[in-house]
Amino acid sequence: MFDWLANPNRFNRITEKIQPYILLIAIITLISGLYFSLFDSPKDYQQGDAVRIMYVHVPSAWLASFLYFSLAISCVFYLVWKHPLADLVSSSMAPIGALFSALTLVTGSLWGKPMWGTWWVWDARLTSMLVLFFFYLGYILLSNAFERKIDGSKTASVLAIVGLINLPIVKFSVDWWHTLHQPASIIKIGGPSIDDKMLLPLILMIFALSFFSLYMIILNVKTKLIEKKCEALLLKSNLEEMSKIG
Amino acid sequence: MSLQSSFIEIFISHIKREFLINFRSLVDVISIISFMILIVTLFVLGIGPFEEKLRLISNAIFWIGLILAIIPSLEKTLQRDYDNGWLDQTITSPTPMELILLSKSLAYWLIVIIPLLISLPLFIVLLNINLKLIPWLLISILVGGLSISLIGIIGSALTLGAKRGNILLPILIIPLIIPILIFGVGISEAVRINESPVNNLFLLIGFTLIYLVISPFISAFLIRIAISR
Repeated sequence: MFDWLANPNRFNRITEKIQPYILLIAIITLISGLYFSLFDSPKDYQQGDAVRIMYVHVPSAWLASFLYFSLAISCVFYLVWKHPLADLVSSSMAPIGALFSALTLVTGSLWGKPMWGTWWVWDARLTSMLVLFFFYLGYILLSNAFERKIDGSKTASVLAIVGLINLPIVKFSVDWWHTLHQPASIIKIGGPSIDDKMLLPLILMIFALSFFSLYMIILNVKTKLIEKKCEALLLKSNLEEMSKIG
Repeated sequence: MSLQSSFIEIFISHIKREFLINFRSLVDVISIISFMILIVTLFVLGIGPFEEKLRLISNAIFWIGLILAIIPSLEKTLQRDYDNGWLDQTITSPTPMELILLSKSLAYWLIVIIPLLISLPLFIVLLNINLKLIPWLLISILVGGLSISLIGIIGSALTLGAKRGNILLPILIIPLIIPILIFGVGISEAVRINESPVNNLFLLIGFTLIYLVISPFISAFLIRIAISR
């Protein structure tokens, strides 16, 4: 299936058709999700209105982790089968994932202010999200650190795969560290049991942000394809001019 | 059998080569130790000379100092061989690159980490570390140092030929070695509060074993990319 999609022209044709629908779904779920989460969901008896931050926080945390996973998988496709499109996909995912992890950190700290009394608490989840953010940052920095684009893509892809192996260990060790230093006394965002009234907007928001990021990724990939085409055309015209002079 | 024994010979000869190159000057080890002393000094200056506070965080200071002091020296492990073309030559030889890189990280461990242990008494005095901690500290530095050198060779291979590689390396490496810090400090802290540190030690050993397996393959893959440039 990936082989089949890896053809840039086919990719363009298919996404041309489905892109508007993706945007439509994203807008509809976003509006309804925001309505339900802001107006039509119960207050938490402990957290009050601050619980509404969760409807942005949890989906972005979920997406930040999911996008890193897909980024690394797409890097595997790039390194093993050498699909150039796979690299475009992973490099388009990186800034969006980094943005979502930053959003998770910001909303987490906004939520923390009324709940914990400080903007930042070294909570296990927030800390591992911070580390995830640095994995994204490392990927982006490394992929731009080389003279030729392709060297950066290959090297950064390896880094992403190492990160995929290492991230669960980091996640585990941070949890381990947290339980070691203080027993779990902090209220966790979205505890184990959740009311149905709260679950509906949460699911809607997860759908909204997922479809939105899918739309943005497709848009990014398309832009990069056009950029590549422009570069190729420029190279071609330069070569023709040179051959005329020669 | 002959193939196996020749692999072992090659392995040992590469370690010998690293020793010859690096042991002619002990500058590396001395500079790492002095860097570490300076980091510890900075910490103490920042915290203030309060015995009570220091006793609580001395283990953390020690581990952070160790990791920060080692990181700058990691870049050199492959960069020099890359610059003078040694890697280009060895990649054409029938010896697998993975084996060479494994010997390189083991050599780094032998040359840098083990001599660092000489400085341990100094830090025990400086940071008032409890004496019953010494055997555990020795084991955890040996094991943790091995995983730092295994991860370091990956980081060094990642930044081969990169622009501003020396700044990039810590950003790439530090997220990877967070578990070492957590388990390492965990061992020392467990001993400090009279609990058994074996849990943390086993976790540290497990982490090291994972990288012992994957590090040579990943860094060899990266070097093939770097050479093909």
